[in-house]
Amino acid sequence: MHSSKREIWLGTLAMTPLSIAVAPWGFLVGAYALEVGLSPLEAQSLSLFVFAGTSQLVALGLMQAQAGFVAIMLTTLLITSRHLLYSMALRDKISPLPARWRYGLGFLLTDELFVHTPSNDGKPLNRWYALGAGLSFYIAWNLATLLGIIAGSSIPNLTELGLEFAVVATFTAMLVPMIRSLAIACCCATASTVAVLSAMLGWQAGLLLAILSGMFAGYLWEQVSEYLQLKRPWGTPSNQEEQA
Amino acid sequence: MIALTLAAMAVVVFASRYLFLEPRLPMELGPKLRRLMGYATPAVLSAVIAPMVLIHQGQLNSDWQNPYLIGAIAAVLIMLLSKNTLLSTVLSMLIFVALKFWLFA
Repeated sequence: MHSSKREIWLGTLAMTPLSIAVAPWGFLVGAYALEVGLSPLEAQSLSLFVFAGTSQLVALGLMQAQAGFVAIMLTTLLITSRHLLYSMALRDKISPLPARWRYGLGFLLTDELFVHTPSNDGKPLNRWYALGAGLSFYIAWNLATLLGIIAGSSIPNLTELGLEFAVVATFTAMLVPMIRSLAIACCCATASTVAVLSAMLGWQAGLLLAILSGMFAGYLWEQVSEYLQLKRPWGTPSNQEEQA
Repeated sequence: MIALTLAAMAVVVFASRYLFLEPRLPMELGPKLRRLMGYATPAVLSAVIAPMVLIHQGQLNSDWQNPYLIGAIAAVLIMLLSKNTLLSTVLSMLIFVALKFWLFA
């Protein structure tokens, strides 16, 4: 019991920088939810039960744009689909654990927790450490949301101070480091263009169409450039290096 | 309606995080689908940002005095130079607020 407590604290400590960095995000989610028309309880529930920053913000943006239930769910599904990759990567380590651990760690499996959970080091998972990291991040996220709700309900024009831009600012800061290849750049360019064109035409399904076009454009670019590189002998070594 | 949306979102998000942690699940995603899904997050972020920056009241706004556009360009540049999410977010927001409520007001 003593060592499990210690591991919880070590996990919490390791997560602290991310728990701090996520505070403006959580604050934004809380204040933005009120702006969109959610009650304080609904706003907090979003962070308590959904616990997924990107999905929460995008869903709020869609609610503000009067999007329908189906559009919100399909978009959530697309945004959250990357978590399938995390659960697959951690399958060998977490699936042998008892059910309550699987459910608990599964619920806490954010991008941030995944970063702190080595998936292929050959050692068994330190469950208490992972719990400490995941749970402390969950608490930080919900406290930040609560602060956003309090600030948003006591300062009426908080959202007119450029809060909508906070979504652009945070998403841009998340997106830029992700663009590591021409294929991803192609994906982003396609998604942006389709999204802007659909918005000009007033299409409801524009966001979904834009996301899918971007994903296929990136995938297609990747396939074509790999095919071309394989056909050229001088392109082969660097290509193999990248794949290794 | 909002409560239903929240509950459904919670289920979808949890299911995606838990699916492959379930020991009774025999299947795995194929390599092609795995690669395709790798593009989901950048596609989503781009598709959300671009209209917010460029479309206002249903019209294309590519004016250089568009504070959203300048703020977004600033966010990209600060991120490339500093690689610091927090710095980029805070600074680009300050630039946006200065432009919207002060310089271009």
